Amino acid sequence: MSNQAVDRPPRKVHINFQTLGIFAAAAVIFVVFGVLNSNFLTLNNLRDVAVSACVNALIGVGMTFVIITGGIDLSVGSTASLVGIVSADLMVKHGLSPILGLLTGLVVGFLAGAFNGLLITFAKLPPFIATLGTMSVYQGLAYVVTNGTPVYNVPQNFVLMLNSYIGGVPIAVVIVLVVAVLAWVLLRRTVFGQNVIATGGSEETAWLSGVRVNRVKILVYGISGTLAALGGLVVVARISAAQSEAGSPYLLTAIASAVIGGANLSGGEGRIAGTLVGALILGALTNGLVLLNVASFYEQIVTGLVVLIAVAIDQGSKGWPMLNGARRGRKKKDTPADDATLVGAQTTGE
Amino acid sequence: MSDILLEFKNIAKYFPGVRALEDVSFTLRKGEVITLAGENGAGKSTLLGILGGSLAPNRGTITVEGVVRSEYSPRTALAEGIRIARQEPAIVPQLTVEQNLLLGKTAAERREAAPAVDGALADVAAMGFPLNRRTKLARLSPAQRHALTIARAFAYRPKIVALDEPTTSMLEHNVAAVLNRVREMAAERGVGIIYVSHRMPEVMTVSDHVVVLRDGRVAYETPIAETSTEEIVRRMVGRELLGFHRQHPVKPDAPIVFTATGITRPGSDERVDIAVRAGEVVGIAGLVGSGRTEFLRAIVRADPGCGGTITIGGETAHVHNPNGSRNAGIAFIPEDRKHQGLALQMPAYANIALTAAPDLVGPGPFISINRQVAVSSELATSLALKPANVKLRARQYSGGNQQKVVIAKWLRRDSRVFLFDEPTKGVDVGGKAEIYGLIDQLAAQGNAVVVVSSDLPEIISLSDRALVMRNGHFISEHVGDDINEHSLVASAMGIAKEAS
Repeated sequence: MSNQAVDRPPRKVHINFQTLGIFAAAAVIFVVFGVLNSNFLTLNNLRDVAVSACVNALIGVGMTFVIITGGIDLSVGSTASLVGIVSADLMVKHGLSPILGLLTGLVVGFLAGAFNGLLITFAKLPPFIATLGTMSVYQGLAYVVTNGTPVYNVPQNFVLMLNSYIGGVPIAVVIVLVVAVLAWVLLRRTVFGQNVIATGGSEETAWLSGVRVNRVKILVYGISGTLAALGGLVVVARISAAQSEAGSPYLLTAIASAVIGGANLSGGEGRIAGTLVGALILGALTNGLVLLNVASFYEQIVTGLVVLIAVAIDQGSKGWPMLNGARRGRKKKDTPADDATLVGAQTTGE
Repeated sequence: MSDILLEFKNIAKYFPGVRALEDVSFTLRKGEVITLAGENGAGKSTLLGILGGSLAPNRGTITVEGVVRSEYSPRTALAEGIRIARQEPAIVPQLTVEQNLLLGKTAAERREAAPAVDGALADVAAMGFPLNRRTKLARLSPAQRHALTIARAFAYRPKIVALDEPTTSMLEHNVAAVLNRVREMAAERGVGIIYVSHRMPEVMTVSDHVVVLRDGRVAYETPIAETSTEEIVRRMVGRELLGFHRQHPVKPDAPIVFTATGITRPGSDERVDIAVRAGEVVGIAGLVGSGRTEFLRAIVRADPGCGGTITIGGETAHVHNPNGSRNAGIAFIPEDRKHQGLALQMPAYANIALTAAPDLVGPGPFISINRQVAVSSELATSLALKPANVKLRARQYSGGNQQKVVIAKWLRRDSRVFLFDEPTKGVDVGGKAEIYGLIDQLAAQGNAVVVVSSDLPEIISLSDRALVMRNGHFISEHVGDDINEHSLVASAMGIAKEAS
């Protein structure tokens, strides 16, 4: 958010250290890999990193919305698998055109997500439980559609639509950027977005202010399902085939992208740009470790550690203003006098 | 002198950019009750934090029974015999009353703690809350939890006890019992007590000595016998504060603009009616748990299963949820502003925009941050919001200013009915006067105003008409001189006449 049109003379520059920290961490990781392996910072390889981050970025952006409402969506991996299978099946065996295949997939994804939302709002299930259940249901459906067999020979036009290059730029990357811009506008520049953030901050407050929180939540899970579907379709295009379990690896990494990017699992906070950088960091780690010939087992260890470090740094940065011994980590959000930002304004009154 | 229990000497505490305390010195003697007074943000909580060891001062020392404290940690403070009963009770809701009283004790200590537990339970009962030791805390009311927190502070032979707003959620007779207990502990066992409260009558009754903090410094310190309520309040706010009187009482011929008829809620057979005239402020008094909050929530349909008919300006309003209530022109300012009135992590302007006033949203589904900030800033100016910068997050404001933000949410919506639940709970004296002025203005504009409050002086100074609720229905109506403490309390407790 920019700070324009503020008429106070000494214009205060707001730097969000949390976001900045993520960018700095990403830069460090890129530089380190670049130093260790001269192939890492080549244009071709960076493009590979970006491409490999796309699916996580797409699913992670949806997850960011969900996490901002204070929820979680464990069904995204299954949704991606299910949508991939359904769309591929429709295109290959029933001759659906690629564009319709894509749109059908997105609709299925939205419905799968919205169903999560219905379970959470009307059946009042906790998001973790509701999506844990549908994770299994959607995965099962993905097997049922084709009896567990993969769908090969996805139409070439579909592959071109999601997995080709425009003037050297991968289409998937363009899609991610477009989605991210739309998501940012939706979150930061619409009534809906403000209601999402308020619902995550205090659902009761939003409800008593007249926000229809059920509708907000159903839509948010619908968005998550839709973006999971898009991610799943990108995966299908990338390997020209749909597999019943193709989406499952993306559940944890999508959550990780959002969390590395600063999304707060207790709700009310999260950033689209942060999630993109989170996905990029994970992509760079995978790619860089492969270049360094590190066994793939270690990659999981490193990824896990990066998530832990990111969250620890995030917690630390929230604690910095009161780094004084015993008080650290104590719940003290509500005491206004402790908050550094208040100061300037308060002291002017004296 | 040997009877000095506690000495604060030149205590200073800074948070980045904030001077929370500067050069605070005073002493507490055995058997003495000192009231620590001051507006929100004056530094009381910080000082208690230092006393309790959870904060270390940047300068200055604490001396307990002649020994200078060398290390600041909650453990040290406990070892020194210091107990603090906080404003927001430090309890575990999933545990029982007894388990909470034993919290932090080792198995060996627990065996010896039986008398202390019995004593604490007796204390709680004496305060008017007979509790079963096996009841889980989650099932207790806020007042009961407060009582338990106080009793726990006294349970293990403390030397020094600090009570932070212990009576906020309590009613007169409970308060009297709490004050008795405080005096008793001081007089009989020589406990030194630091008492923090905004309620002046309590301060005058309970304390020997008063220390007023203002902007982190000791602004006033005197034996209670040598001062007056007015003087203490004046020192707290640094200016004269007159008793509040409504500038715009309701006009005798004002028409009824708001009715709620046959309001019901699940689990109760009561059907409750209320009618409010244009420009009228109706106060609703009653004991905690009498159903006042539930009544307001049922009007705006905050909970499922509520029923009843609502008319505004003579027309039936179709209210099925808070969204419908908002669109019908009803503003609801709930009791718990931090969890029901605000999204604390959002900036003030975004909180104000939550009610989707036409000025603050659009075009279409979009918002303009600049316009939200501009409109909110206008509201901030008219409400004298401090700090006036509406880009600050809601949690960065003090209680009274947070309440202004909650009220501001409803001012651009053509709301014609204002329902306030405990509008000044935890708000300091200066903030109270401002909020009263605002309520008076809202009435003067021809709105219907309902104020639920446990603070009787608040009901008395604000109301054109006062209703007393008991067991879920109104049992009496008071106007004119009949709106007085005695009459309201008698009615609320079911002692006197059962009128209307």
